[in-house]
Amino acid sequence: MKIDAPVPGANLLADTRNYPWHRPPDITDYDEAVSYMISRISQEEQAELVYSLLQIDTTVTTVVSGLLMQSIAKGKMPIDLAILISGPVARYIEVIAQTNGYKYDMGTDTSDRVKITPTLLKMAMGIVEDDEEEEMEATPEVVTAMPEGGLMGAPTDADKMTATDEEQASMLGMNADSEEPVEEENIDGMA
Amino acid sequence: MTFQDAVKKSIKQFMDGKMPKNLMEVSGGEVKYTPEYFDGFKKAMEEEGDAPEVEETTDED
Repeated sequence: MKIDAPVPGANLLADTRNYPWHRPPDITDYDEAVSYMISRISQEEQAELVYSLLQIDTTVTTVVSGLLMQSIAKGKMPIDLAILISGPVARYIEVIAQTNGYKYDMGTDTSDRVKITPTLLKMAMGIVEDDEEEEMEATPEVVTAMPEGGLMGAPTDADKMTATDEEQASMLGMNADSEEPVEEENIDGMA
Repeated sequence: MTFQDAVKKSIKQFMDGKMPKNLMEVSGGEVKYTPEYFDGFKKAMEEEGDAPEVEETTDED
């Protein structure tokens, strides 16, 4: 059986300097880094990509961070320098977009974000305060009216089917005036 | 804070006309790409319809 897994501690011995970002960066100067990024964006293919991304509502911030990430991955510049030059790079893209009439969104505006308030947090966490509970208790219970009329409707006073005393007495056979039951005549003498 | 958040913050600062303080101290205030430079760049683009010369760097990828 062949075991292909690394032995414990192999990560401590591995030579990771082969990654570009583990080597000293090519560019360490601010102005040089901005020039490098501008020249990259100015390349025809890269410019087409950048301004096409802006046309499909990708924010300038996203475009810039993507471009800088590529440069970092290639070992061109360190991460902190990339963050420092993100402002000038974004401004360059903005100026080009403005002068060429491209629509763009910087992506730095936070006005569309939902503002977090204590009330919003309480609602999100399902917390109901005592005052709100009292208000809820004070709310009168709405009683729905009984349906009247129709086949399934409850009977009204007018519709009461109570028999009178005389009718009840006659139904119970207690009425003296009641007619004696008439024997049914046998028709044709048949029982 | 993610990389994207840091980039967003940096862009916002630059757009507000602020430059990194320590960077300016280290470079002795001699930084080419300042907010003022890009204001001039924009003006030049609008007037001439052509970008001013930008120092080219060789891409050895």
